[in-house]
Amino acid sequence: MQPSGYTIFMVEDDQSVRDALGLLLGLQGYPVVMFADAESFLKAYRQEWRGCLLIDIRMPGMDGLALQKRLLESGCRIPVIVMTGHGNVESAREAFLSQAVDFLEKPIDHAKLMRAIGEAFARQMDAENQENESTEFTQLLANLTPRETEVMELVVEGRHNREIAEALDISPRTVEVHKARMMMKLRVESVPDLVRLSLRRHNKNRT
Amino acid sequence: MRSLITHFFQWLAFVIAYVALDWASYLHALYGLNITPWNPSLALGLVCSLRYGRRIAIPWFIALLLGEIMVRGLPAPMLTTIVLSGCMVVGYSAIAETLRRYVNAGDVLPDQRTLLSWLAIVILGTLATSGLYISLLLVADLIPAGDWVVALARFWVGDCVGIIVTMPFFWMLFEHHSRMRDMLLRWETAGYGMLAAFMLWVAFGLGGSGEFQYFYLLFLPLVWAAARQGVAGAAIAAFMLQAGIIIAVHWLQLVAVTAFELQMLGAVLAFVGLFIGVVIDEKQRVSVELRQSLRLAAAGEMAGALAHELNQPLTSLTAYGMACEQLLEQGETGERLRETIHRMISESYRAADVVRRLRDFFRTGATRLETISLGELLASAASPFAAKAQQQGVDLIVDSESTRILLADRLQLEVVLRNLLSNAFDAVADQSAGQRHVRLSAHPESADSVCICVEDSGPGLTEANAGRIFEAFQSSKSSGMGLGLAISRAIVEAHGGSLLAEISDHGLFKLVLPTEGKDDDAA
Repeated sequence: MQPSGYTIFMVEDDQSVRDALGLLLGLQGYPVVMFADAESFLKAYRQEWRGCLLIDIRMPGMDGLALQKRLLESGCRIPVIVMTGHGNVESAREAFLSQAVDFLEKPIDHAKLMRAIGEAFARQMDAENQENESTEFTQLLANLTPRETEVMELVVEGRHNREIAEALDISPRTVEVHKARMMMKLRVESVPDLVRLSLRRHNKNRT
Repeated sequence: MRSLITHFFQWLAFVIAYVALDWASYLHALYGLNITPWNPSLALGLVCSLRYGRRIAIPWFIALLLGEIMVRGLPAPMLTTIVLSGCMVVGYSAIAETLRRYVNAGDVLPDQRTLLSWLAIVILGTLATSGLYISLLLVADLIPAGDWVVALARFWVGDCVGIIVTMPFFWMLFEHHSRMRDMLLRWETAGYGMLAAFMLWVAFGLGGSGEFQYFYLLFLPLVWAAARQGVAGAAIAAFMLQAGIIIAVHWLQLVAVTAFELQMLGAVLAFVGLFIGVVIDEKQRVSVELRQSLRLAAAGEMAGALAHELNQPLTSLTAYGMACEQLLEQGETGERLRETIHRMISESYRAADVVRRLRDFFRTGATRLETISLGELLASAASPFAAKAQQQGVDLIVDSESTRILLADRLQLEVVLRNLLSNAFDAVADQSAGQRHVRLSAHPESADSVCICVEDSGPGLTEANAGRIFEAFQSSKSSGMGLGLAISRAIVEAHGGSLLAEISDHGLFKLVLPTEGKDDDAA
């Protein structure tokens, strides 16, 4: 069963295909929202939407690949499944370069579509978990005292307790106390966990 | 047993025809021997040898012998005649064998190289057989020793001319799928035949008294035939002219020397005709091949595009089918299931429509030109849209008043016009009710061409997409295959016209086509 709150957003210009796929996915229990073209999707798009996108390549106006690229550039992380009736290597390459989950050729093999949707939802969930983790981490960082923050930064850089003690001009024993309190406040079990979380936060701030 | 009888009658017919030709061409003989200005019977022998193989040597020998006895009344002793005829058959069979090896692959004289090879083999082969024959005559003491050069030249030229002038004619007559037999039944053949007769009369009747200074007029019917009907026409005309020359020679009772010169002229005449014919045939073949490959390319693209278009209904059919299963599983048997099945049916129709279009294209694949009235063409192309117009609230105006005549393939042009009209209908679909206009009209472009306009009240084309729409797979429509316009343009250009998309504030396509005959209704 798919996670609650996940929706399939379908952008497909062919009315019958849209209707048929919408009906089928709806019957299988997925919430489905349909759009006839890329422009109306972009107009309706909300940051908080979760789930996956099912995009047809050939459409009047903006085509599917352009829509995919536009979403990627604007920082939208919803996983995308690309469909096409006229697949070629070039369009498949472009789709995967823009991080498509799958590239499905029409007539669509339903089993493949199901697998792709499952994969897309899994990716979405991963992304969401990571996001939650790092939001939480940022919130927890605010609880640290200035000294604890200094200790944390040096720990992440890979310094030993003695080096930290020298750098901050305090005793190694005090460093150990600060470090233990800092780890507890940030709710991390080990130094590698701390490094992972702070690196992710760092990367996110950079992008 | 049966094939033996058939063979026997074939051989009998061959012997009779051979002796008859021998008799008919036995004119101006030297020393009462078979040394005459032309030997068409030899051409018949070669053609039959090519067609039926080496076994024709036996009846050929009999025919030669009978010719000596019946036509020339046995000028030499029987034994000598038998030896001479035997040598001749061996010599001629060797020529036939060489021809079989080098020029008898497939068609008769298909290209220039084959024509030249054929000519070289004939000239050298007859020189060799003539040398053999004259040497034998000298040995048998049948001609004066001092005259051997003249005798050799006469005999050689007689054989050579006989073959060059008549062999292509017989050759094509005996072809399996003879091009020539069709040509013989055409009015045009009678036309240049009459011209040939007239020119012969001018050359020999009027100018016969002088030095035949009007001989060159005989080139006219020959060039006509070769230019219009290729090698087959050239062979017919050369044969006609040769027969005419022989009759004239006989009728005017020309001396042997003049007849000999006329034969040389006849051979050159025939060769020129054949050469033009071969060049014409080659050109024709290249153009047919080109058209064929263009058609195949278009058909390939068409098939690819339609396969793509079939994917849409197939996708929805599969999804609807699975949805039905799902509904049944959920115990739903009422309205929802019925509705889904109904949609499946209409999707099947949509798929069928795609297939129908492919079939239409292949059916109209071959261009069949006929004279059609422009007005009728517009009316019949627009007729399927009348109901659609009413249904979709489109104001469709068809101005089919024109009485001009086109020479065109009706089905293909209808495909083009329907395609343009269908595009126009799609273009106005988004307009508000009352603003949907589509107009099909025609007006004279010049004295010998006409412009058909398909206009709609849609948004029209911008400069950017006007260039791209004629490329394959450039569709702005989901159901379109992006090929309609590419194919349409190819069809219109095959009719010698052009298809243009105008950059305008409304949709406008112009189709310019050449008309047949003069303008009736334009000022």
